[in-house]
Amino acid sequence: MSLVKIAGLHKHFGSNHVLKGIDLEIAEGEVVAIIGRSGSGKSTLLRTINGLESIDDGEIVVDGATLHAGDKDLRPLRLKVGMVFQQFNLFPHLTAGENVMLAPTVVKKTPRAEAMEIARKMMAKVGLAEKFDSYPDQLSGGQQQRVAIARALAMNPRVLLCDEITSALDPELVNEVLSVVKQLAAEGMTLVMVTHEMRFAREVGDKLVFMYQGRVHEAGPPRELFANPQTEELASFVGSIN
Amino acid sequence: MAYQFEFTPVFEHADLLLKGAGFTLALTVTGAVLGIGLGIVGAICRAWQLKPFNWLFGAYVEVIRNTPFLVQLFFIFFGLPSLGVKMGEWEAAVLAMVINLGAYSTEIIRAGIIATPRGQLEAAASLAMSRAETFRHVVLRPALQKVWPALTSQVIIVMLGSAVCSQIATEELTFAANFIQSRSFRAFETYFVTTAIYFALAVLLRQVLMALGRRFVIGRPA
Repeated sequence: MSLVKIAGLHKHFGSNHVLKGIDLEIAEGEVVAIIGRSGSGKSTLLRTINGLESIDDGEIVVDGATLHAGDKDLRPLRLKVGMVFQQFNLFPHLTAGENVMLAPTVVKKTPRAEAMEIARKMMAKVGLAEKFDSYPDQLSGGQQQRVAIARALAMNPRVLLCDEITSALDPELVNEVLSVVKQLAAEGMTLVMVTHEMRFAREVGDKLVFMYQGRVHEAGPPRELFANPQTEELASFVGSIN
Repeated sequence: MAYQFEFTPVFEHADLLLKGAGFTLALTVTGAVLGIGLGIVGAICRAWQLKPFNWLFGAYVEVIRNTPFLVQLFFIFFGLPSLGVKMGEWEAAVLAMVINLGAYSTEIIRAGIIATPRGQLEAAASLAMSRAETFRHVVLRPALQKVWPALTSQVIIVMLGSAVCSQIATEELTFAANFIQSRSFRAFETYFVTTAIYFALAVLLRQVLMALGRRFVIGRPA
């Protein structure tokens, strides 16, 4: 039984048909890496899973919460899906701890003391317990991204979407973020990540999805796909990045 | 023969000047609190394009920003009674200041709101926050932080502009000055002292507003 089920998904930006019928199933605890050239629709696909992009046709089901074209109430879906962004997007006027506490208190009406306990736990999980009272602009990019991960985790999502979460980081800060993601994967978190970190995808991913011109062009276990691409496009993509 | 400066007649009426300055401050504080409140509501309607309120606020902003404050005041105090809406000079002065500041602060705060980076809204949305929750917890404070210096300036402009309320006999600072001048015929001395008081009030108000901004809007240790 899959946790995330995407069927017949279509998306247009004006006359540009960016997702041309995506079918994808993700099992609980699976780590999925979505790769492809820019413009292939990989980020758009990820952003439809929590309703940041509307869809024109098809269906998305995450743990019983469904999304169809034209749906207005996205809260049930978004309660199941967390997201981490390329640019961190921490709230600059709140401390790291307050960033993590905000959604549980506001959305789930968790009592403040309990929310703080959750926040402290999540900050410790990403290795930043001592930065609880720091403001985002006092943290490095890698630290900010780890806070963003803690913020998403505090809502206890069933699946975590990661949209190129290391692309805005200095090279020496990439590993501290990836090791947090790796730890989440080891704990059984379901992860869907758009990434350019091919080595990481191969090492940690259970499934690799190669997007090409708005379609899932190839999908399967990362090692097999990298070692033995079935299509010319994937072969050329793998060749171009290695 | 050179002019002989004589400040004594002015200082004999120091109580009137102080009372007038107090009224000017009270008018300004009331006008600022209600005016900025109105501005936040207007800015939400404009930024979110809530029909028909965005259109109404748009028209309101245009009318107020393109007409003189004195005429707005006269319209409220002398014009509205023809429609049966009568009010005292104090109420008319406050209403005129709220309406005036409301229009300018609508535009100032709207600028702060629309400058919210898209990523902030997406982060809030991904945390299942509603639009109202996002506005209150994510958008409003950074927006006010960005425009607080502009709002401060506008409040001071309104404070200085409140001088024209003397024209409907609101007993604020300029009214007191006019009264003293008409009794003493010491125009230079009277308006010199009045100018100094306005200057001091403006400097003081700016300091207070900036301190309030640091404490409540920016709200973090330096």
